[in-house]
Amino acid sequence: MSNVQSCYQCGKCTSICPMRRVSKTSPRSSIYNSNVYGLETNGIWTCLTCGLCPMECPQQVDFLTFVREERQGKRPLEVAHLGVFTEFAELSSKLDGARHQKSDSEYGYFPGCVDQFGLFLHDVKTNFGEITTSSMKLLDKIGIKPQIMDMKCCGHDVLWQGKKDVFDRLKKYNIDHIKESGIETLITGCAECYRTFSKDYGLGIKVVHISELLDKLGLKINADVTYHDPCRLGRHMGMYDAPRKALTANGVTVKEMEHSKENALCCGVSSFMNCNEQTKALRIARMNEAEATGAKTLITTCSKCLAHFNCLKTEKDAVKKYDIDVVDLSVFLARQLEAGK
Amino acid sequence: MKGSVAVVGGGIAGIQASLDLADSGYKTYLIESKPSIGGVMSQLDKTFPTNDCAMCILSPKLVETGRHPNIELLGYSDVKSITGKAGDFKVKLIKKARYVDETKCTGCGTCTEKCPSKVPDEYNAEMSKRKSIYIPFAQAIPRVATIDAAHCLYLTKGKCGVCKKVCGPKAVDYEQKDKEIELNVGSVVLAIGFKPFDPSILKNYRFDHPDVITSLQFERLLSASGPTQGHVTKQSDGKVPKNIAFIQCIGSRNPRINRKHCSSVCCMYATKESIIAKEHDQELDITIFHIDIRAYGKNFEEFYSRAQKEYGIKYVNSRPPEVVVNPDNTLSLQYEDFTTGDLITMNYDMVVLSIGLDPADSARALAESSGILLDDFGNIATSIENPVETSVPGIYICGVAQGPKDIPDTVAQASAAASKAAALLCGERGTLIRERKFPDEKKLSPEPRIGVFVCHCGINIGSVVNVPDVVEYAKTLPGVTHAREMLYACSSDSQSTIKDAIARNDLNRVVVASCTPRTHEPLFQNTCREAGLNPYLFELANIREHCSWVHMKEKERATEKAKAIVQMAVAKSALFQPLYKQKVPLINRAIVLGAGVAGMTAAIDIANNGYHVTLIEKEKEPGGMLRDMTELYDGKKPADVLRDLIRKVSENRNIKFLNEAKLIKVEGYLGNFKGIVNNRGKEISVDFGVAVIATGARNLEPSGLFNYGKDPRIITQAQLEKMLGTGVSANTITMIQCVGARNKEREYCGRICCVDAVKNAIRMKKANISTNVYVLYRDMRTYGVTENLYEKARDLGVLFIRYDEERPPKVQGGSVVVHDIMLNEDIEIASDLVVLSTPLVAGENEEINQLFKIPLDKNKFFLEAHPKLRPVDFATDGVFLCGSAQAPKLIDEAISQASAAASRACTILSREFIETEGAISIVNEARCIGCGTCVAVCPYNAPSLYDVTVKVEEVTYSTKKSKINPAGCKGCGSCAAACPAGAITAQHFSSKEIGEAIDAFDKGVRSISIEKQIVEVMV
Repeated sequence: MSNVQSCYQCGKCTSICPMRRVSKTSPRSSIYNSNVYGLETNGIWTCLTCGLCPMECPQQVDFLTFVREERQGKRPLEVAHLGVFTEFAELSSKLDGARHQKSDSEYGYFPGCVDQFGLFLHDVKTNFGEITTSSMKLLDKIGIKPQIMDMKCCGHDVLWQGKKDVFDRLKKYNIDHIKESGIETLITGCAECYRTFSKDYGLGIKVVHISELLDKLGLKINADVTYHDPCRLGRHMGMYDAPRKALTANGVTVKEMEHSKENALCCGVSSFMNCNEQTKALRIARMNEAEATGAKTLITTCSKCLAHFNCLKTEKDAVKKYDIDVVDLSVFLARQLEAGK
Repeated sequence: MKGSVAVVGGGIAGIQASLDLADSGYKTYLIESKPSIGGVMSQLDKTFPTNDCAMCILSPKLVETGRHPNIELLGYSDVKSITGKAGDFKVKLIKKARYVDETKCTGCGTCTEKCPSKVPDEYNAEMSKRKSIYIPFAQAIPRVATIDAAHCLYLTKGKCGVCKKVCGPKAVDYEQKDKEIELNVGSVVLAIGFKPFDPSILKNYRFDHPDVITSLQFERLLSASGPTQGHVTKQSDGKVPKNIAFIQCIGSRNPRINRKHCSSVCCMYATKESIIAKEHDQELDITIFHIDIRAYGKNFEEFYSRAQKEYGIKYVNSRPPEVVVNPDNTLSLQYEDFTTGDLITMNYDMVVLSIGLDPADSARALAESSGILLDDFGNIATSIENPVETSVPGIYICGVAQGPKDIPDTVAQASAAASKAAALLCGERGTLIRERKFPDEKKLSPEPRIGVFVCHCGINIGSVVNVPDVVEYAKTLPGVTHAREMLYACSSDSQSTIKDAIARNDLNRVVVASCTPRTHEPLFQNTCREAGLNPYLFELANIREHCSWVHMKEKERATEKAKAIVQMAVAKSALFQPLYKQKVPLINRAIVLGAGVAGMTAAIDIANNGYHVTLIEKEKEPGGMLRDMTELYDGKKPADVLRDLIRKVSENRNIKFLNEAKLIKVEGYLGNFKGIVNNRGKEISVDFGVAVIATGARNLEPSGLFNYGKDPRIITQAQLEKMLGTGVSANTITMIQCVGARNKEREYCGRICCVDAVKNAIRMKKANISTNVYVLYRDMRTYGVTENLYEKARDLGVLFIRYDEERPPKVQGGSVVVHDIMLNEDIEIASDLVVLSTPLVAGENEEINQLFKIPLDKNKFFLEAHPKLRPVDFATDGVFLCGSAQAPKLIDEAISQASAAASRACTILSREFIETEGAISIVNEARCIGCGTCVAVCPYNAPSLYDVTVKVEEVTYSTKKSKINPAGCKGCGSCAAACPAGAITAQHFSSKEIGEAIDAFDKGVRSISIEKQIVEVMV
């Protein structure tokens, strides 16, 4: 249950809202209309669920829960990529899925949907699958040989798109799958999966984001990078230090952007929704901040952020030529590992 | 039982509690952890809502505390533990080493001047530097230097030692050690105050930027004794800011950082600071960003309204989430304009963070050793019906340590705590105290030998008036044998200087040219008396209020005027003769008017202090407004509280309760009143020494407002309160706040209506969660810890809709149409009940104000002697005030005030006699024609006529003559001015004395030969 009734309309949320910089949205007003009059506002759909406003709210109003609850059963204003990923999840939720099987390892690794991205996002010119292969290499280096978990989508996007029924079906299958496997720790390379397994599943086993394991690789990398905190890993889960440590412990210098950690700006698109002129402006703002650090590489730990930044870079009529590589953390480290061999 | 009390904390609360206890005959230890007493109030520039100079009203209290024979001041001492039980506590404390012998140090300041080590000055909120050996501020008490051991070069590195070398009286002692002291006392009063919130934990507000400062720092910037001598400048570049933003609720109303409470004072201090800043610089643009403006106290709403209308201060209902430091290092704020929905970015030269009040660090430690409990907010826990009693009997609490509150509420609680401690120890009263001893008065030599002391008052006078020039001029005046300047004439070292000058120069008249006699005359008179001079040989020349403050921009002319004022005082003082106070017996009994919760509490407290009380109630049943209440805001039943109070009244043998009674006549004066009470048609005479007025107030009947009276569905909050006793069923209930308040006709805020509304909204929801409860409000004023009720109401789903004064809701039967300013749309709420929250209005106070000649304010509530420091006193001695008769207030506040009034009354009742004024009027009987004019004009009932037989040679006739009762006379001079026969002399202000002063002004103006037109300006 969200606690929007605690809101006393101070307006801090609206003033700090990244979407407000590029649109007329007002979380304050969405809360008011819903709480006092039971009215639905577009604000619940324009929200990127980036989690910045609850950080500031003096009354600790849980705006994320509010938005998620309000969305349930309603039609999103827009879903990017023709809603194909949503269709995919819906379909998969109704299909049988892979057979549950016992794992040989105490560790399980879930790649998420990165391997399907390539099917639809050719224009982004990013090898999303490399995230999985890189993760395997890195885990191998530190002596972890996980079972690859052949599960369905974690359900993150459908949950935030208001399709709880679909999410529940996916969740049920996945929980059974994990239980049957007998693993004790579930590793994921995806910020969204990490959030969803940690907060929305109640698995009862350890869930680890791969960045938590990478500070002991023993690499000596001489490079300056900047790091973008994905909202799911950062504000949703409070994980700011692990990815940075994974870089600095391996010799990398991290140059912080103007807004980082708790205050990090959003990549602009959430749950494959809201890809439009306004959110593009946010992506530009974020890329400009990254560029301003002088680093030649922008590291992130979320495949969606990766897609969105690279999409901006590789557009046909690009707004700007960004001389900066956008790379997933595991991919970056694995490439260095390879280069050092 | 011990007849002594330890008061922990030397802010205004501790000071007031100590003075009350000491005046009531108890040995009092005042323990303060800082080098000087004075607390945060000593750092304030002015106080709201009257904009009185804080130091000017505080300083006389500091001095009085420092010199009170029954108060032992333990400065720079930390309490380590409190153990024991009521009547017998052990208080362990560490007297920290000052490295200066307090008994030897004169506070001359030479060491401070020579000390080479500079450290941030806490008194100026770290915006300037002080030395490692220092006296915190000019008016500090005790005025002794303290070495900051953490920074002193000698104590840290073994180098330097300059202070020891330059110290004349050899007071510096590097070998001094912390000393553990154990006090054995009968009771403890905790007055540990608060800690200003540290905004650096809210990183988004960029407190690291030099132009983002706290409200306390801004207060210091405004103060003449502050780091910039009262000029508001930017810390970054020293330039004058053109626009300033205040952000409210920094560290308050923020559960996210565990600050759930409203700090109660920030809205008003931000308003005050804005007004003062605007007075300094009219071009300045000030915006206050807020959630609700909580202007709930007496005259607060009026102050808030003046800030907007007269000073053009902008109030914006929106909260900027961060201070943005731009690339060029300037500051901007971004906020949502709720009316247009626009996001606005504004640049500001300076941002002031209105910081809240955190519990003091020592609260937790003290709680652990003594076993007292803390509440959810970290304050020392109390209850509504016992607002100054901690969970440990014999340990009392007052001030902000009990919950956020402003100065008058703090002072009232301090007196209340003193009353409780005094009542506990009443059998031991007077056992551990000593009389104030003065040297014999010296013989007055025939020739006047006048000493003149001209005060800089920091820069209050010195920056406008050329003080050395005035001193030189004074030396040339007839009769003046000594003249000198002083930085602060009121500081304790100045008192020694004056006494010393009296002795050395054999002075027999003293003139201090400084500020108003209203606050400072007793101090200087006492100094004269300590030097063997009759106190009436002293005169104050007011060159601050009458000169430097009103002629700031005309420095030269102001200096000439100051000279003239001094000359007048000198001429007048030459004629002064010694006058003597008389001792008059007093009646050690009290009356209390009104047996509501305040009146009963006051009566019980006075009775528990050992004095007889007559409690007079006009109704048949005691209880007042509490009888109509069905639940207190903490859930307790008023009937239980009432039953307990009535039991205490009826069981106490010192209390005589008269119901269906009314005081109809009063004569007499402090200590000796004679009253007639009409008790069910029978007249009873009651003699008493003091009176407490606790006659309460009544709920406004909103006839004609919102169709009240035309439809049974439209009721008042008071009616709902009553109905809730048996339960109310409604599907939808809509409350409208500020009905008949905060408008042109009735400007004040009702203070308690928001708390009442929220409380009853919660009750409705608790009875049936599916009831729709709407509260239509302008600002939610659930101040202090009552903020938790507002939270709770919201949690239960009560809906709050803000409306604007200009577009009030419309009520037609059960339909309420409100213009929702958040939506900017009219909304109709179909309601089963419409509840109008109306304020309390004054009762029949006019009768009582005539009986006692005590004043009313413009809303017909009683007017206290001083809105800050004398909240339960009247200007008329011997009459005290409490409860809603003074202004609307919550029940716990009324109880605190009632105990406070009892304490103030006991400071009189505990005396063996009353000392009269010395400067009173006298009648020359030979000239008196017995016309009775004096009797008619006297505001204090002092003169009366008596029959005499006059024998003139062979003729004898009967006539009347006037006689002035010295105990009643206040020396106001009305009778002397009105007497057609010139038979009355107002001593100390005789025609001759005043005439000489006027003549001297005339002479002075000529002798200083200034241009004629200037004289016209000044006269």
